[in-house]
Amino acid sequence: MSTESNADTTNESATNGTQTGESEPDGATTGREGETTSDAYGPDDGLLVLRNVTKRFGGLTAVDDLSFAVEEGEILGFIGPNGAGKSTTFNCVTGVYPPTDGTVHYDGEDVTDTAAHKMVKRGLARTFQSFRPLEDRTVLDNVTFALTPDKLFSLSGFRGGLSERAREICERVGLGDRTGLSPSELPHAGLLRLELARALATDPDLLLIDEPFAGLSGGEVEDVSELLTELREEGLTLVVVDHNMRGLLSLIDRAIVIRFGSKLASGTPEEIRANKEVQEAYLGGSL
Amino acid sequence: MADENLSGETVENPSATTDERSVFASLLAPRYLVGLLAVVVFAMLPFLGISTTQLLVLIGALYFGLFTMSWDTVSGYTGEISFGHAIFFAVGGYTSALLNLGHGVTPALSIPAGVVLAAVAGVLIGVPALRLRGPYLSLVTLVAPLILLQAFIVYGDVFGGELGLSSPANLITADEFGLVVVANYYIALSLFLVVMVGLLLIMRSGIGSVLTAIREDEDAVAAAGIDVAKFKVFAFVLSAAVGGLAGAMFVHTPIGSPQPSQLLGLIVSIEVLIAAILGGMGTIVGAGLGGVFFYFTNDLLNQQDATIPLIDVGINEASLLLFALLAMVIIYFLPQGIFPSAIRTGRRGLRRARGDETVATDGGRDADGAAATGDTTNPIAQTAERYRRALDALNDRFDGGDDE
Repeated sequence: MSTESNADTTNESATNGTQTGESEPDGATTGREGETTSDAYGPDDGLLVLRNVTKRFGGLTAVDDLSFAVEEGEILGFIGPNGAGKSTTFNCVTGVYPPTDGTVHYDGEDVTDTAAHKMVKRGLARTFQSFRPLEDRTVLDNVTFALTPDKLFSLSGFRGGLSERAREICERVGLGDRTGLSPSELPHAGLLRLELARALATDPDLLLIDEPFAGLSGGEVEDVSELLTELREEGLTLVVVDHNMRGLLSLIDRAIVIRFGSKLASGTPEEIRANKEVQEAYLGGSL
Repeated sequence: MADENLSGETVENPSATTDERSVFASLLAPRYLVGLLAVVVFAMLPFLGISTTQLLVLIGALYFGLFTMSWDTVSGYTGEISFGHAIFFAVGGYTSALLNLGHGVTPALSIPAGVVLAAVAGVLIGVPALRLRGPYLSLVTLVAPLILLQAFIVYGDVFGGELGLSSPANLITADEFGLVVVANYYIALSLFLVVMVGLLLIMRSGIGSVLTAIREDEDAVAAAGIDVAKFKVFAFVLSAAVGGLAGAMFVHTPIGSPQPSQLLGLIVSIEVLIAAILGGMGTIVGAGLGGVFFYFTNDLLNQQDATIPLIDVGINEASLLLFALLAMVIIYFLPQGIFPSAIRTGRRGLRRARGDETVATDGGRDADGAAATGDTTNPIAQTAERYRRALDALNDRFDGGDDE
């Protein structure tokens, strides 16, 4: 399956210019299963498998031949500086736009270029980096909306049941006492919880969380981390995207660090912390 | 906030979520009583000494209200602004007229044919429109009726060119013209009410909730696992069918005829848009009443002989100018439209009159909701935001959209 593996690809994403040489993506650190061999993954190597995903916008290569696998039940950190291509990778996976090249497998099936709503139905939910609640309805109605079946005509009696379920989800994420509020009345951390509630309402197996810790205070980071850990214990697989590692390394089981759209390092939080190239990429910052 | 929108489904929520208020009880809510009163008044108008001419104007106004409700179904709810909705009225109207004039098909069959063809036009515009958002879709809708009009002019021997066709058979024939007009008035009023109730029911069944969410944020809708395309096409086809039905019925009335000036002109599309926004985008009832109000007022201004002082222009000559100015003032001060604002004012007044009572029966939600919203969200603001986002997306494509 994985013949075209080019682990030692000499990153030729020249458009970005200031590339600091050929960082051998996996050299220093070793991930869990099979990652030492190369960037080559089979479709069944994890719940979500990206193989050689590339995304170009005109002349700019935002994601460059990126391969990795998300294993069932883990919390994977997906880390990279601003502009590293994290959100673009996300968008290729969640069907916002198709990758220019490469394949995405979810649960063993090829889902490359599957529409966003179909990915959600398959069990892959996401939160947005910039929160996007529906401002024209309450917190509860936002969650109820995410529960709405994708049918033009469904029995109108369903609403009562849905809002019951929505209330449970709100309580699950800690918004139980604020269901009647408008999203604009929620503090930043509340909006993050609402994003999580809406994603959970789609009953996902894998949850992609885009920059959850941005703008949170230390205490809030802990609260959210705790919530995410609980969700994992309930059987959810989580991918947490962030550009800094504050609060993230203690939460995650494993991390993938990307830069200029290609993989810089992967491994356990300790390995990432010790990785010279990662340190360099972050200029000794926020590690 | 839910109540601010007044787009039906949100208004129903308090009863659905908090307490099991019966449908019957909610129908006794003041605004339904006011609505019922309005229906009674409209139904009695022919007996209130109204002239045949005025009744004719009212017929035109009711059909115009149907046009605006058709526009509201897709543009008011999804925020995809159509600048050329007249194309659907024209397809419906011309189909029915041509079948009737050329082939002697009775209106009872030619009108449904017009509806079907209009719905097909809805698919033809709606499906390609899925690839476009905001201003780009608006551009397509603006151009489509212009193309149709040019086709009508090129094939003038069939479509009558810019002058249109002669009037097809009337829906009602009677010896006395006054009787014909009264009958047509009731047909128009019934159609108006049936379409209004039908659209309201559809919008409150949950579809309205999805469509207004599309207006707010398409990506968030997709993230909820809902197929945006399916709902958009549905809205387009439903809207086109309603518009086609109105257009097809209209040409068979004494006041309507299959002419571009009545069914297809750019001015028709723009007037429909203004009237719907004035009445209240995304509310069906507001848009429908906005259409009736627009047509009626416009006609009233047209009949004035007085001249405006200082500039020495007849009111009738400047009627559209006056109306456009009025529209701008109203949209500036009441961006949600007249109808939602009126309901909110009425509700506030009632609450003040009754004290705490109303709040209690609404389970507290109503008060919360009203307090919750600033003027941050209204359909126009949401639509503007949509446009901004569509332009940003284009910008990203040129810049090579990377992460923020």
